[in-house]
Amino acid sequence: MRMAVPDPSLHIKRAKTALWAAALASAVLLVVVPVYLLVKYSISDAASINTGGAPIPLWPYHPTFRSFTYLFSDAHFYGVIINSLIIAVCTVGLSMCLGVPAAYVLGRFRVPGRRLLLLGLISVRLFPDIASVIPITEFFIRLRLQNTYAGAILAHTLLALPYVIFIGMSAFESIPADLDQQARVLGANRFSVFFRILLPLAVPGLVAAAIYTFLLSWDEFIFAYFILGLGKISTLTLYLKQKLAYSPPQNLLAAISVLLSLPVIVFSLMLQKYMTTGITTGSVK
Amino acid sequence: MAEVLLKCISKRLGATSIIDCLTLDIGNGEFITLLGPSGCGKTTLLKMIAGLETIDKGDLYIGGKRYNDLPAQNRKLAMVFQSYALFPHMSVAQNVKFGLSINKVPAETSRKKLSWAIDMFELSGLEDRLPREISGGQRQRVALARALVLDPDVLLLDEPLSNLDAALRETAMEELKRIHSQVGTTIIYVTHNQVEAMTMSQRIAVLSKGRLEQYDTPRTVYDSPATRFSASFIGSPAMNFFAGKVEVHGEDAGVVTPVGFIKLDKERFAPLQAMTGRPVTVGIRPQNIAYAEHHESKRYSDTMLSVSVELIETLGDRSLVVSRGENGTPLRFLITRDIAIEPQEMVDVFVDGRRVHLFDLDTDKNVFYS
Repeated sequence: MRMAVPDPSLHIKRAKTALWAAALASAVLLVVVPVYLLVKYSISDAASINTGGAPIPLWPYHPTFRSFTYLFSDAHFYGVIINSLIIAVCTVGLSMCLGVPAAYVLGRFRVPGRRLLLLGLISVRLFPDIASVIPITEFFIRLRLQNTYAGAILAHTLLALPYVIFIGMSAFESIPADLDQQARVLGANRFSVFFRILLPLAVPGLVAAAIYTFLLSWDEFIFAYFILGLGKISTLTLYLKQKLAYSPPQNLLAAISVLLSLPVIVFSLMLQKYMTTGITTGSVK
Repeated sequence: MAEVLLKCISKRLGATSIIDCLTLDIGNGEFITLLGPSGCGKTTLLKMIAGLETIDKGDLYIGGKRYNDLPAQNRKLAMVFQSYALFPHMSVAQNVKFGLSINKVPAETSRKKLSWAIDMFELSGLEDRLPREISGGQRQRVALARALVLDPDVLLLDEPLSNLDAALRETAMEELKRIHSQVGTTIIYVTHNQVEAMTMSQRIAVLSKGRLEQYDTPRTVYDSPATRFSASFIGSPAMNFFAGKVEVHGEDAGVVTPVGFIKLDKERFAPLQAMTGRPVTVGIRPQNIAYAEHHESKRYSDTMLSVSVELIETLGDRSLVVSRGENGTPLRFLITRDIAIEPQEMVDVFVDGRRVHLFDLDTDKNVFYS
């Protein structure tokens, strides 16, 4: 007769599973808690923040969108969002116009000194932003780019370009060379090969690069602060800083932060869809 | 349709020579194969004809015109890659029509061509599928259809069957032959597979290390290999090779080998006599050595050898016997499967003297090949 002796390895397995669960749970908490706090504060009423000694409630006593309605009633705030959009969209446009052709050439041709070029490109991002912002601002002031859209767009393009080129390059590199050659044998010139074969196939990678660039510009503070200062053209990040200076209610700050992170969340979800590989499967082999 | 002429074509990559002064003429509507092991330069040569690789030296003529400096897109050629290189973002129909739309073929003609190709390559029902949604055999047919709708002067095929399984490959070979007889395009076919070369092509160009070893009909290449390489690369199982020396023993002219004296046929007596004492490499196909008991008519030119059987490999209808002759020299021959011989047994075999090939020691050229 078989005895019901528990298998010792089963215990170890269970312990392992429990450990994994705990690790995963803490990782999830790490991501979720700040988001929860942010959202909670953004819809809190004043009484749920200044409780007068009582513990702060887990959920506001009277959830309210008053902070948001206040923000959207401020004409200046609209201007700020428009500014951030203008700068981000133009940065994406400029970075793609400059970066995609560069990525195509670097990813598709034997360029002399390619490694050195790539090293030079990435070196821009090897320094902390706070170190490179001073000389760049100096330079921009001399070019009269301070307090202009162009200044902010150029600065953000400078930051985004290495990423666009690197992401784009690997997008082009991942397309089998047989496809170019095949298209050429069928009568396509380099121009047609690029626009009809390579570009459509590189789109997922390029979209990822574009979204990344948009977010980089949208979130960027240091360069915006040095180049635009707290002058006429204000971006969302600068607006947040400005409000902070007047020690405003926490719910208002939280509301600005929520609006600031909204596109990040939306685009990240979109990015996931585009990050899925497998578009070129079935082309070769 | 056009004839292709390669005149002492060369290509180097740094210090290494990829193609070394290769001359080849391909007739209008001919189906030829570039056959050789990987790294012999056959695909490079094909890409040079296609215009995807530059030609360092020599001339390429297609239809009488010099093509050296014509860019790939302006040559009226079509090519099917080993990988098929289907455009993954385009449907089957869009893939097939790609060349037509690039070359601005009128919509009406384009539609007709497409339906012809869909018919010819049995692709109906697949028009709107993406390449990743169809099978390997279907992809291969799409690639062929895409090439042939352009009515190319020359069709270049780079190992188009190597990604297919054995059964599919056989059907595809028949298919290719049928298509060639129907459209009559000049075809240059690259492969390392001798069966494909033998079955399909009218002439085979055997390549080794960027040089042309032999260019002849499959039959001639098999029956009278021009070089030792040609002899060893074509034919299965592989040819037996020994060191030998030409000698005349009375009425008989032949070669002395480690397995003994092997007689050659009477027709070659005079030239052999003239080269008495010359050291050569002797090549004999396993097919030309017969098990003595099964040997019906003993010819004048047959030489009997005694060998000890080492092992027997079953090939299906026949078996390959690996044996050792005198001095332990390995000798491989074929028997029909109804012959029951066992390892360790001593057996007698006949070597067919008419099918003994002699190669020069230095040049590896067949001493009788003209």
